[in-house]
Amino acid sequence: MKTLRSLTPEQLKRAEERLRHPRPGSRIEAAQKFGIDLTLLIEKLHLSAEERIRRMHDTAIAAEQVRGAARRQRT
Amino acid sequence: MNFIAAVQALVDGGVDFVIIGGWSAILHGSSYLTNDLDICYSRQPDNLRRLASALAAFHPRLRDLPMDLPFVCDEATLRNATLLTLSTDLGAIDLLAEVTGLGSFDEVKANSVLVRAFDREIWTLDLPGLIRAKRAAGRPKDLQVLSELEGLLEAQEPE
Repeated sequence: MKTLRSLTPEQLKRAEERLRHPRPGSRIEAAQKFGIDLTLLIEKLHLSAEERIRRMHDTAIAAEQVRGAARRQRT
Repeated sequence: MNFIAAVQALVDGGVDFVIIGGWSAILHGSSYLTNDLDICYSRQPDNLRRLASALAAFHPRLRDLPMDLPFVCDEATLRNATLLTLSTDLGAIDLLAEVTGLGSFDEVKANSVLVRAFDREIWTLDLPGLIRAKRAAGRPKDLQVLSELEGLLEAQEPE
């Protein structure tokens, strides 16, 4: 059974290094050229899976409240 | 989308399911916001009953049909469909019996990892599986997140 775990400090250090200094021709460099903000990925990798969900969950709820308020203003 | 309440209800209802799509990407570190919860579910009869029962409390209805059209989300409906796009009190939930690029539920589960979160154990696609599914789906929104997921995978690969 595979488990999704937070990265160890060594894994995190390696991942951060790769994201801060993408190798030419790498998939990370391709993502950067595509427009992905690699600093956001570094931030997310520092979080546990639950923290990632909680942050996005709060953002989604807030976005829905804004959309709801906008809808109410139009009607 | 109240992701936490939805997932807790499904787990507490004993439903055998795997989180796929945008929320799976978020679990792996994606920064893209998503509006709906996509899950792939086992079509074993007992599981269909549990899934229908878990969803019933949140008044599921089909998103692409008028609100007043009657809809019964029961074992038979779940058995006969391979894709249901539902609107619920918790938000949009898409139910898939199979995933493009991966296959049936058993293949999806074989490409999944267990996550401990919100006092529950939940299954979600592993990063390579999610990338395969996104690439196979090939819609603009899938391709948009694909390069981010590829970058996340490469960043975490061993030396």
